[in-house]
Amino acid sequence: MSAAPITTQTTVGHADANDRARVRMSVKNLDFYYGQFHGLKKINLSFYDRQVTALIGPSGCGKSTLLRTFNRIYSLYPEQRAEGEIIFDGRNILDPRLDLNELRARIGMVFQKPTPFPMSIYDNVAFGLRLNERLPKSELDDRVEQALRRSALWTEVKDKLKQSGMGLSGGQQQRLCIARTIAQKPEIILFDEPTSALDPISTGKIEELIEQLKSEFTIVIVTHNMQQAARISQFTTFMYLGEVIEFGPTPRIFMSPEQRQTQDYITGRFG
Amino acid sequence: MHAEPPLPPIASDVPSAWGRVRGSRRIADKVLKASAWIATGISVVVLFWILGMLIIQGGSSLSWSVFTQATPGPGSEGGGLANAIVGSFVLTFLGIAVATPIGVLAGTYLAEYGRGSKLAALIGFLNDILLSAPSILIGLFVYTLVVQPMGTYSGWAGAIALAIIALPVIVRTTDDMLGLVPGTLREAGVALGAPTSMVTQRVTWRAARAGIVTGILLALARIAGETAPLLFTALNNNSWFGPQLIGGIPNLPVTIFQFASAPYENWRQLAWAGALIITAAILLFSVTARYALGRDNAR
Repeated sequence: MSAAPITTQTTVGHADANDRARVRMSVKNLDFYYGQFHGLKKINLSFYDRQVTALIGPSGCGKSTLLRTFNRIYSLYPEQRAEGEIIFDGRNILDPRLDLNELRARIGMVFQKPTPFPMSIYDNVAFGLRLNERLPKSELDDRVEQALRRSALWTEVKDKLKQSGMGLSGGQQQRLCIARTIAQKPEIILFDEPTSALDPISTGKIEELIEQLKSEFTIVIVTHNMQQAARISQFTTFMYLGEVIEFGPTPRIFMSPEQRQTQDYITGRFG
Repeated sequence: MHAEPPLPPIASDVPSAWGRVRGSRRIADKVLKASAWIATGISVVVLFWILGMLIIQGGSSLSWSVFTQATPGPGSEGGGLANAIVGSFVLTFLGIAVATPIGVLAGTYLAEYGRGSKLAALIGFLNDILLSAPSILIGLFVYTLVVQPMGTYSGWAGAIALAIIALPVIVRTTDDMLGLVPGTLREAGVALGAPTSMVTQRVTWRAARAGIVTGILLALARIAGETAPLLFTALNNNSWFGPQLIGGIPNLPVTIFQFASAPYENWRQLAWAGALIITAAILLFSVTARYALGRDNAR
């Protein structure tokens, strides 16, 4: 296989030849601290509209930390703080005046371990909708069904919507969590190693799902699995020790990385 | 298909390793095992002895009149425990009704809002001291706080004393049970745009529901049999009580306490019956609690 230079255009121009990918969110000079520990150092990065961007790197490199700044979920923990800018829809996400609940309805997150709530499948999916929108019953039903269809779970659960979400298998639970997130129609979905607790078949289904979701949502995914990054992402960011080492279209990162460390990591020399 | 490589030959010249465990080690194992059996046997025998006595003595004293007639005065014949049973019921449920909201909310503060703070650590510590405080002290405390200013013993004072005893049990179990809810569940709620208070009410409480309810039922069982705190607060009475709950309120534990040491045969019989009733009620609460917890965990 030749390492021919792959232009940004060919990988990015997914929808239309002259529809250049738009930047949906950009990170500027982001620093992150766990107490005294400097977890992220001067991160600069862009995320493109309706593209999948993978964050890869060895354990502890800061990829989950970075992901957790985008919906400011880190702010649950008082000793964690971020400095810098993350621009989304014209505003800085780190602005303390920002309404966090609105932010999190617009930027959804799916976690490593499936986290169904202890309530029925229907109520799980309706959870966010009931919080942030006042919908009549029939419309709520529609939105729940849509979200479950969209996350490829509808046929498996349509006859047991009233049963507990905890009774589903791991892979189904994770798709339920995805349904719950997309029901709110977010603009960006953050995936934090969504398949690392799942078997290969469930993993395949989730990957397929992410592939479909990108027609509607901008996706950022943290993954430990380099094959997964190569399979599903259009852009890849390689991080190491709290810094972005390299960012670019996925084929280029995997076939002709510019940085020595990226090369070493993807060829399995460390990590 | 390729040929499988031949298996290595089985070694026959390796010396046997049997007998490596020292004999004394095996004896120690047997001794520990026997001690554990004996200790279990003793506690089970004692438990069944108490239960057996209660069932034999209390059972023979049980009759309809126990549930229909009021406690007899000194020297009078017959009588029952009806007023004491109703009084205990009222005091216990008033106590638990006061302690439950305060206890659950305080436990929620400790687990959800105060975690890691010095204040929460201090409150948790004080709560644990209250948990093991002698109940007679709580009776005296309520006596000076409620009975003296009111100038009379009352069901309210008794219920307050019982609530103070139930409170730390509920705070501790609520805190512990919420602590078992995985943090990722809270994060998932918050990540959907729910404020923390909403996540607590709709997700975390629900996830810990069985444990919290068990704590409340255990507190109920605990205060149903408390005697000491009632001696200074609700006291006791041989007659029926009014809805104002003023004056001495009849209740089972204090009735048992007074009747058991009385010179009248019918009083002592009623004390046995009361002890059986209270034990059966506590057993019922505990079994219900276990069942509720087991069923919720199985789901």
